[in-house]
Amino acid sequence: MNGTLRLARAELRKLFTTKALPVSFAIAIVLAIGSVIIDAMVAGKNGTARLGTDADVYQMLKFGAITCVVMLILGILAAGSEFRHRTIIPVLLATPHRARIFAVKVAVIAGLGAVFSAVLFGLGLATIVLTLSAHGIHHLPSGVGTLFAGTVISSACFGMIGVALGALTRNTIGAIVAAIVWALFIEQVILATIVPGIEKWLPTAAAIGLTDIPSPAHGLPPMTAGLVLAGYAVALLLAASRTTMRRDLA
Amino acid sequence: MSTIRIQKLTKRYGSVLAVDDLSFDVRPGQVTGFLGPNGSGKTTTLRILLGLAAPTAGTAAIDGLAYHQLPDPVRQVGAALDSNTFHPGRSAAQHLRVMATATGLPRRRVDEVLGLVGLADAAGRAVGGYSLGMRQRLSLAGALLGDPGVLVFDEPLNGLDPDGIRWLRGLLRELAAQDRTVFVSSHLLTEVAQTVDEVVVLSRGRLVAQTTLADLVARTSVVRARTPDAARLLEVLAAAGLQVRLVDTSTVEVRSATADAVGVAAAAAGVTILELSRQEEDLESLFFDLVQQNHQNQEVAA
Repeated sequence: MNGTLRLARAELRKLFTTKALPVSFAIAIVLAIGSVIIDAMVAGKNGTARLGTDADVYQMLKFGAITCVVMLILGILAAGSEFRHRTIIPVLLATPHRARIFAVKVAVIAGLGAVFSAVLFGLGLATIVLTLSAHGIHHLPSGVGTLFAGTVISSACFGMIGVALGALTRNTIGAIVAAIVWALFIEQVILATIVPGIEKWLPTAAAIGLTDIPSPAHGLPPMTAGLVLAGYAVALLLAASRTTMRRDLA
Repeated sequence: MSTIRIQKLTKRYGSVLAVDDLSFDVRPGQVTGFLGPNGSGKTTTLRILLGLAAPTAGTAAIDGLAYHQLPDPVRQVGAALDSNTFHPGRSAAQHLRVMATATGLPRRRVDEVLGLVGLADAAGRAVGGYSLGMRQRLSLAGALLGDPGVLVFDEPLNGLDPDGIRWLRGLLRELAAQDRTVFVSSHLLTEVAQTVDEVVVLSRGRLVAQTTLADLVARTSVVRARTPDAARLLEVLAAAGLQVRLVDTSTVEVRSATADAVGVAAAAAGVTILELSRQEEDLESLFFDLVQQNHQNQEVAA
């Protein structure tokens, strides 16, 4: 087995030997399936879309918000905890090739994000199909495939953004808080107010463009949103790899 | 047989000169102590040697190669730098298995080193619940994982209980006897005096001495000679270039000389010696003297 594959296996072993991954995956699955069940229960009430309509199914398929947040946190923990717990030292003593270690970590988290989001989307979709079937509804809207692809791409991108933030800040809690403040406050409130129209070009809005009901009038079309989000991920990864390569470890 | 070579190594952090034009070699088949007070540049030197920090100037090499150039680092060099480099949620076995997976070492090697460092019974427990001594042992297990020819330990006795210290001293001797290069840092000379063959002494980032421990003790030891002709003996030894002083009417004290040298000089001059004894100077005072001497030299030079 070559060195890169061994490093990838070691990265996976690291992820699966701490509680963060199983706990966050379990919470995400419960939230996803729970949201489908609740959506089905309230469908058609208080002005919400009727069960089985395209709008209702799209509402139930908004799993991307969950998987993006989970992968952002896991990415931050995967990179930041190496510095927080100083496990980066034995890692670099065993494999003194920083660029390769960083690239493998990014690839593993992106891959994990893609697989996890695909599995979660599949579980959620199966729950939706079963729920609709129980009500005698046997069709799905045409945009499911696009939403599936958008959820997978955005989850992989948010995992990579998380790795970049963790490596840049080396502070897991600080990076998670900063990411949440950015997404909920700086991006949505401050920047949107200061520069009207810019919000759709920012990372969170780009992710929404990939994972929400396609609405080009308000946001970016999925293809553009995917490119914008990937661009942010690449820019942050370049900055993070630059500091990772140069930094002395005390 | 692997050699560590530090050549004209300098490391500057802003205005602070952590390591200053340092050069020395560490040979295989012996335990070499890397000594100096806290902040003298030992850890910085080791981090540069192990590729964790970049030098401002100079080189630090193992078998002529920088650490990142080694073809198979984990099988060539084992290092225990810090007892706090573990995820608290992972067990010792999980931590070592991650290392073994990354480097292609067999899983059985993990069990072997855990047994070797006495952690077999605690291997499944989360490291967060380990004592400092247990973490130190786990750090040593990580260093031994690849069965390397060069071993670098930074303050390895920290946190070990007396049994652990005795065990580690034996292990270091055993590793050196297997012709490995064993390089051990400490800020306490007494801590490693029973283990090391050679010492590299550092002070304020500069090399103060590289010699055998026996020579270091001899160079800085005090010999007292009791004689019926103290004035004559004082004159003879001073003429031989030794540092001497009269303690009382019948006793002469000689610094930085062996008892043999004093005896031979006295015999050559025909001075009767009634008693010749080496004063067991506290090793730590000796170390302190060496370091202080370097400080004074630097201040004079400045």
